Amino acid sequence: MALSTPQPSDDSHQQLLDQIDITAQRERIRNRNWKPSQRRNKNVKQIISESQRKEASVLASQNGSGASTPFPATGTNTGGAMTPVNTSGSTKQPNIAQAAQNLSTLVLEKNLQRNALPVGPAVTYTNIESAPSLHPAHSKHYCDITGLPSRYTDPKSRLRYHDKEVFGVVRTLPQGVAENYLAARGAHVVLK
Amino acid sequence: MTIKSVRTLVTNRQLPSPPADDLRPSSPRVCDAPDYPFKGWQPPQPEGYRQSAATSIETAFVIDNGSSTVKAGFSFDKAPRFMVPPIMARYRDRKNNKACTFVGHDAYADATTRGQIRNAFEPGTSIVTNWDVMEGVLDYVFIKLGVDEEGGIGRPVVMTEPMANLGYSRRMMNEVMFECYSAPSVTYGIDSLFSYRHNRGASGLVISSSHTATHLVPVLAGKPLYQSCARLNWGGSQAQEFLLKLLRLKYPTFPGKMNIEQMEEYVRRYCYISQDYDVELSHYLDWSGLEEERDIIIQYPYTEHIAPEKSTEELVRIAERKKESGRRLQEQAAKMRLDKLIKKEQEMEYYKQLHMNYVNAPTKKEQRRLLDADDFKDEAALERVIRELEKKIRKSRNKDLGAADEEEGMEQQTFPLLDVPDEELDEQGIKDKRHQRLLKSGVEARLRAKAEKERERARVAEEERLDLEKRENNFDDWVAGRRVARDNLLSKIKDRERLKQDAGNRKSLASQMRMKTLANLASDGPKRKRRGGGEYDDDFGANDEDWGVYRTVATEPASDEEEEEDPAAALRSLEAELLRYDPDFTEKETFDAQNDWTKSLIHAFLRGARPFDPESQKEAHQIHLNVERIRVPEVIFQPGIAGVDQAGLAEIAEGIVMGRTNPAEQQALLRDVFVTGGNTLFKGFEDRLRRELRGVVDASLMINVRRASDPVLDAWKGAAGWWSKSASSERNAATITKDEYLEKGSEYFREHSLGNSIAPAASSGS
Repeated sequence: MALSTPQPSDDSHQQLLDQIDITAQRERIRNRNWKPSQRRNKNVKQIISESQRKEASVLASQNGSGASTPFPATGTNTGGAMTPVNTSGSTKQPNIAQAAQNLSTLVLEKNLQRNALPVGPAVTYTNIESAPSLHPAHSKHYCDITGLPSRYTDPKSRLRYHDKEVFGVVRTLPQGVAENYLAARGAHVVLK
Repeated sequence: MTIKSVRTLVTNRQLPSPPADDLRPSSPRVCDAPDYPFKGWQPPQPEGYRQSAATSIETAFVIDNGSSTVKAGFSFDKAPRFMVPPIMARYRDRKNNKACTFVGHDAYADATTRGQIRNAFEPGTSIVTNWDVMEGVLDYVFIKLGVDEEGGIGRPVVMTEPMANLGYSRRMMNEVMFECYSAPSVTYGIDSLFSYRHNRGASGLVISSSHTATHLVPVLAGKPLYQSCARLNWGGSQAQEFLLKLLRLKYPTFPGKMNIEQMEEYVRRYCYISQDYDVELSHYLDWSGLEEERDIIIQYPYTEHIAPEKSTEELVRIAERKKESGRRLQEQAAKMRLDKLIKKEQEMEYYKQLHMNYVNAPTKKEQRRLLDADDFKDEAALERVIRELEKKIRKSRNKDLGAADEEEGMEQQTFPLLDVPDEELDEQGIKDKRHQRLLKSGVEARLRAKAEKERERARVAEEERLDLEKRENNFDDWVAGRRVARDNLLSKIKDRERLKQDAGNRKSLASQMRMKTLANLASDGPKRKRRGGGEYDDDFGANDEDWGVYRTVATEPASDEEEEEDPAAALRSLEAELLRYDPDFTEKETFDAQNDWTKSLIHAFLRGARPFDPESQKEAHQIHLNVERIRVPEVIFQPGIAGVDQAGLAEIAEGIVMGRTNPAEQQALLRDVFVTGGNTLFKGFEDRLRRELRGVVDASLMINVRRASDPVLDAWKGAAGWWSKSASSERNAATITKDEYLEKGSEYFREHSLGNSIAPAASSGS
């Protein structure tokens, strides 16, 4: 590459690129010892499902606790497979588990109370999303092709259309285009 | 409740009619398609960093981490120093073997960098998901703001985050800030609340519609009601994508390249909120004012194919050359004809000589010899040849002289032998008789055809006469007949069009029938083969009707002479007649007028108020924005238009105000409906919002809608102002220091009245 003489225009562009490139500069201001996790880039869906799983597990342990809930005796539940000797041998184990579980529940409940008392359920990214419209007047129909008000629906392609001229267009759409129009309105249902 | 006013929501469109001549001529508004937003090299501004060195704890970096633009500056600045999109292009340059990193507008530098652009935010959300890009953007911001020492940025950071930010993404941001840049402290706040504070709001409903989402946050006495806030998943980026989708569907074969950066420009510059959507929409493609007010043409770059124009002398020369060569050909032909004529005359000379010799020959034997030498059977044959030659010569002479053929002479021929019975004729006579009979039948056939033609002419004339009579005596019937004929022709044209369209569709009935016929043809007849290698013959073609199958399977309509004349031409002549005689049939009703572009709604939608020339490259590279100009911004009030299954902005606001607060609070919220964010910059946004709210809340409540003084920058200004003007105790209460981060973990953060509330233990605790 070095052999070919660079065009003057190429050269000036390369100079510009060199000028706006920040690779060298950024190395200086960053902490060189810091190595972020390779898998830190997660999409929103992943993050939400992870946090929800965590939430669910906390709720589950919460439900399985409390004064009124009978404590599951792990040793005795195994039934006839175990000998009575074993059961008597493990009498101490449930007590420890019970104590540990009670403690964590206590902390959880307290935390929850503190959070819940002033405001109710916590505000999360998912639950501030507003609900669908319940107002019947808001389901107005518009022509899929032109966007004009529409009174008719083509039963074949399910496209809404404004008048008979647009209907002519609807009926002469190439294959697959009607689906794209439906998708733009969010009405293209694909059953998997 | 009584009905106070009635109004038709869907009104019929007024058909456009061409503007009258006396109206002032309008010119189309043509705008060029914007280029990529490359801004060239941005020089760093290090003086702010140096200035803040003395008070490094008091002055902070303020970063409004927006998903469309990251705004950055110092807390003492009046406005952000840098505004860059949160994008980065990073790749290894093979030529120079080095890594390249381009951030913000720099990433649009050329095609290579554009191809590598990654966004820090997940598309359509306000959550950072690509942390490598986020770091790149922060690097860029800090470099440009003058950070040059190793070992961290050395200033506190004030940063915005979205409403109800996810715990995970805050944790990542904390890690980046404290680990990578060694920030002494970081403060997070919500952009819309900063903006509200900057505009001195205390109690009100904050509506922040920005790049990726629209948030509604009720604020009472400076405290946001987190429980009642809501998010509508619609913002500027969704609007851009929606517009791109619509335009791709509108111009499926558009030769230019439409991209999302251009859509941003179109949405920002040409879209506006309609005050009364349904009424304005139903008249949007009406003729009047379409070009002057509503239609906007975007011109994409194109190259016009110009046919090389020939000069007049060149044209003359070409014509001359053509004439010359024609003349040459004519001359050649004439010469050839002459040669032939000469040859024929010589031949005739020879045969005549021969005949003379034959007649004058002394003996029969000599006569015989003469005939045999030229292969003649007898004298009659020789005479026939001479006669024929004579005829030919006469004919070609006549042709040369331009005289008419004496065809008629043939018809007066007599055939005397035919009346003589066979018995009276010798062998030669019988032969001649047969010959005459043949000639006679030919002549008769010609006469018959002529008579037939004559009769047909008479019939047509008679028909015309009857038609005229009918028109004069029984006009109503005549008109009715013509109209029926016209309807028939129209339906025929329509049928043809349908057939033509169906030909391309494999699923149509016609195509399926065709496939069936082909399959039948292929599988016709018994399959067994005759023994002994004989070819199996299915007798195809023995019957003439067999060949008709090719007519039925042909995809192109047969264009042989049997095909009747073009129905369009017949229709035109019929309509001309109707126009002439039928007073009820006007120019407007003709097929051509009905299908004229000025009548077409689709034409107005696609091509605006001017005729479209499919040959013109210029017009092929144009897109027309008309209905889209109000259709795209309308989605925020009617999300169903774009398939977003959420309530519209006004309905959400009503739900928050009327459903979750007491009357005193309702009034407090509605008295200050505060609008901020880049997606609220549309013309007419506040007015429309006020109208919509007026329609849904109690009439006794006062509604006041106001817009932020700068909907885009006020979040940054609010954050900067909050840091520089509030007491240090207030700041400290909202700030996470590096010590706290190290001690309490990466998800630790503090609640304050401009930031998020603490997320539930489940998603924040670990």
